[in-house]
Amino acid sequence: MFLVGSFFLFAAFLITTCIFVIFSKNPVNSVLFLVLAFLNSTFLFILIGAEFVGIILAIVYIGAVAILFLFVVMMLDIQITTLMYNIKRYVPLALLFAGIILAEIIYLTVFKTSKINIDTFIRSKNNTEQIGDVLYTKYFIDFQLSGIVLLLAMIGAIVLTHVYRPTIKRQNIDSQNSTTAKDRVQLVKIKSGEGIKDD
Amino acid sequence: MTSLTYNHFFILYLIVFIIGCVGLFLNRRNMILILMCIEIILLAANINFVSASVFLNDINGQVFSIFILTIAAAEAAIGLAILVIYFRNKGEIDITQINQLKD
Repeated sequence: MFLVGSFFLFAAFLITTCIFVIFSKNPVNSVLFLVLAFLNSTFLFILIGAEFVGIILAIVYIGAVAILFLFVVMMLDIQITTLMYNIKRYVPLALLFAGIILAEIIYLTVFKTSKINIDTFIRSKNNTEQIGDVLYTKYFIDFQLSGIVLLLAMIGAIVLTHVYRPTIKRQNIDSQNSTTAKDRVQLVKIKSGEGIKDD
Repeated sequence: MTSLTYNHFFILYLIVFIIGCVGLFLNRRNMILILMCIEIILLAANINFVSASVFLNDINGQVFSIFILTIAAAEAAIGLAILVIYFRNKGEIDITQINQLKD
């Protein structure tokens, strides 16, 4: 009973915050509602016993992705009013799409009901140990590949946003090491009364 | 009294998925909202994976959800980088003129 009540509370919050994300006028409000939506789904995951994914969702999404969004929104100077017109053109298409999936929901609630109950399972290990057992053995290659994907994303983001300015002076260590004293210093003998002649 | 079943989570997944897709349709001009809608859709996929994994007592779904999280983080980084350079070049984030990026 407590489980079902908590589920409905968090699900209602999740749906409400998702609606606020797409209908907010200000992108900053959208990002903050997105954070709230991620937090609610974290609660839902912890509610059904998937603690590790829930906490990872909180750390990665709220701590990294949503804050990245927030930084970008603050960096850009967006005129909100110019972006909001012409919204009515796409309403029929969106309603059609939503209607198709709503029909699926009605079909699922009326005709197909799942009888699996969460209370019947007995777990020998905790959630994190279970994931670790599979992640580092069966999915080892995929785990390494996801690291490569993250590296690639980092390099891609740096290459895309990097601005090359030729006026900035940089230290070139190779040319510094390969210079000899002759390149830098010139020994000049001065006779008395003649001064230095420029070559 | 009714207990918590997979159907609850599947319907929640579908509702969140609909909201994300409708947001994609409605906010066709604002590029940063499109990226946020993609995040909502990926969150919906995560909800479905994790709840199916819990209710079928199979841990592979949760592992896959971690991979989805990785891809979502990479996608957000690349998408926001493209958004920043697009804003730097054009001075706006209207997505209807993004086909001029190829010039």
